[in-house]
Amino acid sequence: MIDRRLIKNFDWVLLLVLLLLAGISLLNLYSATYAIRDVGGDKIFVKQIYWFLIGFTVLLAVTTFNYYKLEQLAFPAYLLSVFLLIAVLMGGKVTSGSQRWLSLGPVSFQPSEFAKIAVVLVLAKFFGERGGNRAYRLRDLWQPFILIMIPCVLILKEPDLGSALFMGLVSFSMILFVKVHWKSILIFLFSGMAAAPLIWFRLKEYQQMRILTFLRPDMDPLGAGYHINQSKIAIGSGCLWGKGFLNGTQTRLHFLPEQHTDFAFSVLAEEWGMVGAVALLMIYLFMIFWGLNIVKSSKDRFGAVLAFGIVAVIFWQVVINVGMVTGLLPVVGIPLILFSYGGSSLVTTMGVVGLLMNISMRRFMFQEDQEKLL
Amino acid sequence: MKVEEKKWIRIRVYVVALFFMLGLGTILARAYQLQVVEDDYLKGIADKGIFATITLPPDRGFVYDREGNELAVSIQVGSVFAHPSQIQEKPKTAVKLSKILQEPTDSILQKLRRKRSFVWIKRRISPAVTAEVSRLNLIGVGITTESRRYYPEREIAAHLMGFSGTDNQGLEGLERKYDRYLTGAQHKLVCMEDAFGRPFAINKPTPPEKAGVHHLTLTIDKEIQYKAQQALHSAVTQTKAKGGHCVVVDPKTGEILAMAVVPQFNPNIFSKFRPDTWRNRAVTDCFEPGSTMKAFLLSAALEEGVVSPLTEFFCEEGKFKVGGRVVHDTHEYETLTVADIVVRSSNIGAIKIGQKLGYERFCRYLKKFGFSEKTGVDLLGERAGFIRTTKHARTIDQANLYFGQGMSTTSLQLVMAMAAIANGGQLMRPYVVKEIVDDAGHQVEETTPQVVRRVISFKTAKTVASILTGVVGEEGTAPKAAIKGFGVAGKTGTAQKIDPRTKAYSKRKYVATFVGFTPVEDPKLVILVVIDEPEGIAYGGLVAAPVFQKVGSWALNHLRAAPRPGLLAGGDAGQVDQASVSPKSAQPIAVAPQVKRIAQELRQGVLPDFTRMGMRQVLKKGRDLGLKVCLKGSGLAVAQQPEPGCSLSQVDSVEIHFKPPGR
Repeated sequence: MIDRRLIKNFDWVLLLVLLLLAGISLLNLYSATYAIRDVGGDKIFVKQIYWFLIGFTVLLAVTTFNYYKLEQLAFPAYLLSVFLLIAVLMGGKVTSGSQRWLSLGPVSFQPSEFAKIAVVLVLAKFFGERGGNRAYRLRDLWQPFILIMIPCVLILKEPDLGSALFMGLVSFSMILFVKVHWKSILIFLFSGMAAAPLIWFRLKEYQQMRILTFLRPDMDPLGAGYHINQSKIAIGSGCLWGKGFLNGTQTRLHFLPEQHTDFAFSVLAEEWGMVGAVALLMIYLFMIFWGLNIVKSSKDRFGAVLAFGIVAVIFWQVVINVGMVTGLLPVVGIPLILFSYGGSSLVTTMGVVGLLMNISMRRFMFQEDQEKLL
Repeated sequence: MKVEEKKWIRIRVYVVALFFMLGLGTILARAYQLQVVEDDYLKGIADKGIFATITLPPDRGFVYDREGNELAVSIQVGSVFAHPSQIQEKPKTAVKLSKILQEPTDSILQKLRRKRSFVWIKRRISPAVTAEVSRLNLIGVGITTESRRYYPEREIAAHLMGFSGTDNQGLEGLERKYDRYLTGAQHKLVCMEDAFGRPFAINKPTPPEKAGVHHLTLTIDKEIQYKAQQALHSAVTQTKAKGGHCVVVDPKTGEILAMAVVPQFNPNIFSKFRPDTWRNRAVTDCFEPGSTMKAFLLSAALEEGVVSPLTEFFCEEGKFKVGGRVVHDTHEYETLTVADIVVRSSNIGAIKIGQKLGYERFCRYLKKFGFSEKTGVDLLGERAGFIRTTKHARTIDQANLYFGQGMSTTSLQLVMAMAAIANGGQLMRPYVVKEIVDDAGHQVEETTPQVVRRVISFKTAKTVASILTGVVGEEGTAPKAAIKGFGVAGKTGTAQKIDPRTKAYSKRKYVATFVGFTPVEDPKLVILVVIDEPEGIAYGGLVAAPVFQKVGSWALNHLRAAPRPGLLAGGDAGQVDQASVSPKSAQPIAVAPQVKRIAQELRQGVLPDFTRMGMRQVLKKGRDLGLKVCLKGSGLAVAQQPEPGCSLSQVDSVEIHFKPPGR
């Protein structure tokens, strides 16, 4: 039985925003795959519709149980994700030089997507248990540090620098959120900077190239800088009002690489111009603020930290992806959340947003009620 | 959760919200930078990446003569181009193309090997050849149609027309002067390619906006122009002259009916001729007119009343000392009347008349006649000519001017001045472009006759005209200019040229001129003939006058002018030098009334319906039926007068009204 307060408190606004995003995303995907519709582009579009349906199902499923339950599930989920990451290194599919995909029968997915959520969960559990308002010091943080490092290193091994950095960023945001002693932050930052040269030489050549290209995009416009230059041209040529739906020349003529995945935003910006780009970013901003409101109003510490972790996931994905396609950040393979084509990313994101809704729905319930309900 | 913790979370959330807004703000700023600030630059790159634009020469409007004959047309021709990057088997393609295009394989292969996205293989070839190329279905080889300027009449009116270049831009003459009207919208051959260089919209000319193309109708009569060029050319060849001009003008309107310049050139292959032959010397070159000026001296003196036609002057028996120099006459005269001085072209007599009139007054009249100022004709490169001011003219200079030396004029100025005498004393503005119509047939501009000023009174003009008829009489200097059946008035000129080496008047270099009009009673034509540096006999009456006669008699016949019977039956007509009138041109005039009657009888049947016909069609049909056709308006025929069905034997001319279609 479901408490009618749950229905009453169901986060309809967030659901509407999701539906809106899904619509825009599908429209944009249709355009991005229009030029290749004869060679499988049409299938991509249909597939993404299915993924959205699956995603919404997952989202609704996630809202049915109390997120409080997840506190117990955090570690098992974390262990599972570590196991999957090891599995992908053992027997994953190799595509374009890296091993990121794991096949489960007909579907294949990226364990790193799942790992991101697991890390957010396990960190929320760790920080949620500790009450009070005392700042964390470095010696208090060795546990979460190890918890973050294990999947990060495994993902780096694939290699998937983007996902690893993303995981680090989200974790770091969460740690900052739960209040860390300022000395600890400084020490952490300095040691990070000291380690930078070491990391540089550990990077693969193409990764180094990406960073160099970011610093000097005109260095090799037809090679390493090609993606970003074409993306900038696509966005810039959209001007204020855009070229119109299905009229993006950069998109239609295959100048823009990865146009339905990582560079989906460029397609939108080319065809709908500044107006379209701003509108999309405003939707994200709204989502983030809505999420922060959930953080603020959540009834317990675990919920607040978890909700914040989810908002951080959304925020960083948007910033990294849009920053990348506009040439503000180096090219890393982070898709635009809820917008780029991709099943694993979409389904996990939907699940995560479902969690957010879950927290939002139960913000007025007391512990006793929860026990009763479940 | 404790209240304190709640508060802590709230503060954190606000801080984080601020941070998030900053992050998204940065991205928005970036989007603004790319899409609004750098948009032109980035858009330019995007367009450059996909469009390869080749601009094709624009269409050009047609040029017609006054009867609707085509003088300049644009024809569609084929051009073969290639996208070298798409051609895999270059040698094979080159061999195939060379066979059809009849070009060396090597040169084609060289073009195909160029590292460009677009090359022309061969331009402007016949559609039959391009069809053969397209049958080959070669990858990366395409065909497009371009328009090419073509002058079907070749040399006819070439100096007026000028020509246009490879890219259909007007370079000379009317083509240049009216380039703005003739040039249509530019055609663009756009080929778009994707990131892999695969073309997907090859040979997609942007919709040809016909608007912009205008057609010119000239005042030129192709037939008269042809005759003028032919007669002038043969005269120049016979006398081994350097060149010549022949200008025919309608004195009542100022319309230029023909403007011939020798040496000629063919505008279709203009580059094969020396650039100085392109010049329309009838307006761009000045010369000393010589004795033809006596006609204007006479006009001025009579208008001012200083002499009468019968006033007598002593002509010093051929030698007259003026300003320290001796002026000679070709014949030694004692006493001559003013009329005789002009008819026999006595220089000494002219000086005497001139001295009575006064230099300054004469100059004023010359200026009134249009000398030393541009006529304002719608042609390029017109010169103004030159007259010495009183202050700068020594006695000898003044004396020289009375018989047309020491000043300069263009042929056009001279013929317009004579036209003023012919039409009863009014100087007209000459013009060549009668009408400009747009592609839909709407009239855009129409030139109407324009009186510049009245120069002399009607009475004086008629008196001068009657005196000038004597010039073609047996006593005159140009009996060879007489046209059987028509009264002719005119004046000869044989001017000495300045030798550029000695800077003095040459004893061998002359400009032979005849300028006159006909018929005297109601002038239809003013004709000027200038022969530059004829060898041997250089007299205007012997060299230039026959050309006048040939062109004049032919043109009068062409214009269906009725001869005066009195002049045909002998008597006055006896003054006509029979030898100079070729039997060919004399006969039709002599029997003209008869021919007309016979023609009328032949025209059996009834007047056809001209409605819904185009101008050219109407003109052709009218000519075939022997009718004089009068065209009004432009476009398609909508009404006619008389009505269709009238017996042809009663109809002499038909007036047809046109209206632009589609309204």
